[in-house]
Amino acid sequence: MDENVQNKDIILEVKGLKKYFPIEKNLFGKTLRSLRAVDDVSFAVARGTTIGVVGESGCGKTTLGRTILKLYQADGGTIVYNGEDITDIGKKKMRALRTSIQLIFQDPYSSLPPRMTVGAIISEAVRVHHIVPKDEIRQYVRDIMHKCGLQPQYYDRYPHEFSGGQRQRICIARALAVKPDLVICDEPVSALDVSIQAQIINLLKELQNTMGLTYVFISHDLSVVKYITDQILVMYLGNMMELGETEELFANPLHPYTKALFSAVPVPDPDLKMDRIILAGDIPSPANPPKGCKFHTRCRDCMNVCRFKEPAFVEVGPEHKVACHLYDQEVMQHLEEYDREWARMEEERLRQEAEKEAKRKGKRSKTAQDAPAAEAVEPDEALDDER
Amino acid sequence: MKKKKETNYISIRESRKIIRENVRQMRYYEKLKRKPKSPAEYTTVMHDENNLIELDNLQTCFFTDNGTVMSVNGVSFDIPKNKIVGVVGESGCGKSVTSLSIMQLVQAPQGQVVGGEIRYNAEELGRDAEGNKIAYDIARTPTKEMYKIRGKDITMIFQEPMTSLNPVFTIGNQLDEVSFVHTPNIDKAAAKAHSIDMLKKVGIAMPEHVYESYPHELSGGMRQRVMISMALAGNPRLIIADEPTTALDVTIQAQILELLKELQKREGCSIMLITHDLGVIAEMADEVVVMYAGKVIEKGTAREIFHNPMHPYTIGLQKSKPLITSASDEPLYSIPGQVPNPINLPNCCYFKNRCNRACERCNGQYPPEIKVSDTHYVSCYLYDSED
Repeated sequence: MDENVQNKDIILEVKGLKKYFPIEKNLFGKTLRSLRAVDDVSFAVARGTTIGVVGESGCGKTTLGRTILKLYQADGGTIVYNGEDITDIGKKKMRALRTSIQLIFQDPYSSLPPRMTVGAIISEAVRVHHIVPKDEIRQYVRDIMHKCGLQPQYYDRYPHEFSGGQRQRICIARALAVKPDLVICDEPVSALDVSIQAQIINLLKELQNTMGLTYVFISHDLSVVKYITDQILVMYLGNMMELGETEELFANPLHPYTKALFSAVPVPDPDLKMDRIILAGDIPSPANPPKGCKFHTRCRDCMNVCRFKEPAFVEVGPEHKVACHLYDQEVMQHLEEYDREWARMEEERLRQEAEKEAKRKGKRSKTAQDAPAAEAVEPDEALDDER
Repeated sequence: MKKKKETNYISIRESRKIIRENVRQMRYYEKLKRKPKSPAEYTTVMHDENNLIELDNLQTCFFTDNGTVMSVNGVSFDIPKNKIVGVVGESGCGKSVTSLSIMQLVQAPQGQVVGGEIRYNAEELGRDAEGNKIAYDIARTPTKEMYKIRGKDITMIFQEPMTSLNPVFTIGNQLDEVSFVHTPNIDKAAAKAHSIDMLKKVGIAMPEHVYESYPHELSGGMRQRVMISMALAGNPRLIIADEPTTALDVTIQAQILELLKELQKREGCSIMLITHDLGVIAEMADEVVVMYAGKVIEKGTAREIFHNPMHPYTIGLQKSKPLITSASDEPLYSIPGQVPNPINLPNCCYFKNRCNRACERCNGQYPPEIKVSDTHYVSCYLYDSED
C-alpha cells in the first residue's frame, strides 16, 4: 500500500476510519451502547480516479461519505487529504478546504432551495469563497451551467420549473462551481429515470475527464458502479468486506457477500438464466450486529470460526483485499482448532443458559425440577436461530 | 403568444376557465358512478376467453388546475390467464394509473376513467345465449359491485410497504380483515388460522409471532412479504404488483421476486408487474408492455421485446441501462431530452422530439399499432409497410 501511495498521486487516504453513533447514554452523558455505522474502513483514491462504495441500505455508505467531508466528527482513524491530516482540523481551516471537497446529494428534489434562482444557487458559494472577481461571477456561472448541460437562459429560473434530471444537473453545477478536486456523489442517479440516469452518468464521466475530478461514488446500483468506477469498496454493516479494482472485482469476486450481491442484480435478458445466490433473511440490525464476521448469519459458506472470530482484511492479489476467513491462510490451516474452540464456547453458552433458566424457574416455583428446565432452553434457542 | 405557451404560463382568466370546465366534467362523471345500473349495463363479453383482463382503448384523465392530463391515453393490452405481464416505462408514463384504473382506485373526483373498456373475465358470470363468456366492464361497474371483486379476485401489492400498512393495527388485525370482508360468516378463529396460513405461504419464519406484531417491528423485506400475503388472502386471480421491489435492497429484491414467481406458479394466478427496471421485467415477465406518455408504444413477449426491440424508445431504454456484463469504455447511450409535458399533447408521435430516427411522417397523426408478429405490436411509422 505504502509504495502505491508514493507511486500514484493519492488525493484521499482513509485509514481505519470509525464513526459510532451513541444509542444509549447514562445520566452523565456517557455512552453505554453505540451503533457502529462505519467501523475500521481504509482505502486510498488516486487523483482523477473514482472509487465506488456499494452495499445495502444501512451499511454505512452515506455515513462514510459524510465523515470524509467532516460533516460528522470521526471517532477514530485518520483522513488524509492531499497529504494533510484533516481528521482533527479546526473549523476555520476546514472552511478553506470546503471548496476542494464537494458533495452531490441523492434527491435533487429536496436538496435545492425553492426560493432561490438557479443562478443564485450556483453562484452563492462562488461569492462566499471569492472564486472569481465579483463582476465576472455571472459569466463564470453561465460557463459552468453550459458545461453541465444547462442552457444559460435558465439563470433566473427557480428549481420547481425543472425536471429531476435538470435539477441534478443544477446540483452538479453547484458542486463544481467552486472548483473542487474531490466530489463525493451520494447516490446521484438513484432518484432518476433510466434514460435520464444515462445522461447524468455520461455528464459525470465527461466532467471527470475535462476537469480531472476525483469521485467517491456511493451507490447501491451495481451496474452503475461498474460503469463509472475504477475501484470498488463493498461494505456490509459498517465493515468493509472487499476492496479491489472494478474489473478485477467483477471478474473475480471473492467474498461470499460480494458474490451474492453481484448475482442478485437482474440482467435484462430473458434467456439468461443465472444460478442466483439468494441470501436468506434480512440484514441484521446495525445496533445489535452479530458476533464474529458480521455476515455469517446470511453466508452460504459459514464456518464455525466465522461465528466468533472477526476476519482480518487480507490481501489476495494486487490491490485486491478481502475480509473473509476463507482466504486467510492462517485461519484455514488451523480450522480444527477453531472448531474445537467453538464447540467449547457453545457448550459453555448452553450451560450458562440452562443455569439461568433453572434460576428463573427456581424463582417462579420453589419445587422446580431439573428436567423441565432443560426442556425450556429449546424455544429460546429456536428464537436465536430465527434471528 | 407562442412563447407564453412554451413556458406553460397560464393567466388567471385562463385558469378560472379551466377550473370551471373541470368542475363541470367531474360532476358529470361522479353522477354517472352514482346512477343505479342494471347488470346489463356493466357487463360485456370477452373477446378471448383465455384472457383474464382485456384493456381496450382505456382512457384515464386527471382534471388539474393547469389543464386536463391524459395519464392513460388509449391503452390496450391483454393479461392472459396464468401469465406474468410486465409493464415498463419511465415515471409519469401512466403505468401506475393503468393499474389503479383496473382496481377502480383512481383518485376521484380529479381522476376519472373517461373512455374505453376494462373487461374482467369473472368465472361466476357464466355465458350468454351465444356461448360467449360474460365479463365485467370495470370501467362502468358501480362501486358496490366492485367491492366484491377488489381485494378478492384482483388484489394489489403497493410500492412502499412502509406506507401501505396501517401503523396502529397489528399485522394479524389487518390480515384478518380480508377474510372478514370476503368470506361471509367466518369466525375469528378461522380468520386467524387463514391469516397464519397465508403468512406461512410467503415464507415468514415465525408466523404466530408476526401475526401479533406491528408493522414498525418488521424489516422492509418482511413488510413486503406481509403485503404479498395480504394480496393472496382472497385467493386472487390477478395480482397487480406496482413496483414491488423498488424500495428494497438488491438481495431482498431477489428474495421477493423469487417468491412472487413461485407463488404465481403454485397458486395459478396472473400477475401484472409494474416496474421501471428492465432487469426485473426480463427475469419475471412472459409478456411485456412498454408505455410512454400514456400510450402503449410496444408490446410483445419478453423474448421479442428484449431480443428484437423495434420502437426507438424501447431500443434506447435498453441501450441506456448500464449492464454488469457490458464494457465500460465508451460513453453510455442516452436518450436526449425529456418526457413531454402531459398537458395538451399534440396528435403526433410523442417521442418524435427525442427520436434519432424521426422522419417526415412522424409529424402527422399518432402512428397506429403495427403488427409485427402474432404477439408483437409496435406504434411507429418506421415499420409501417405502406411506405
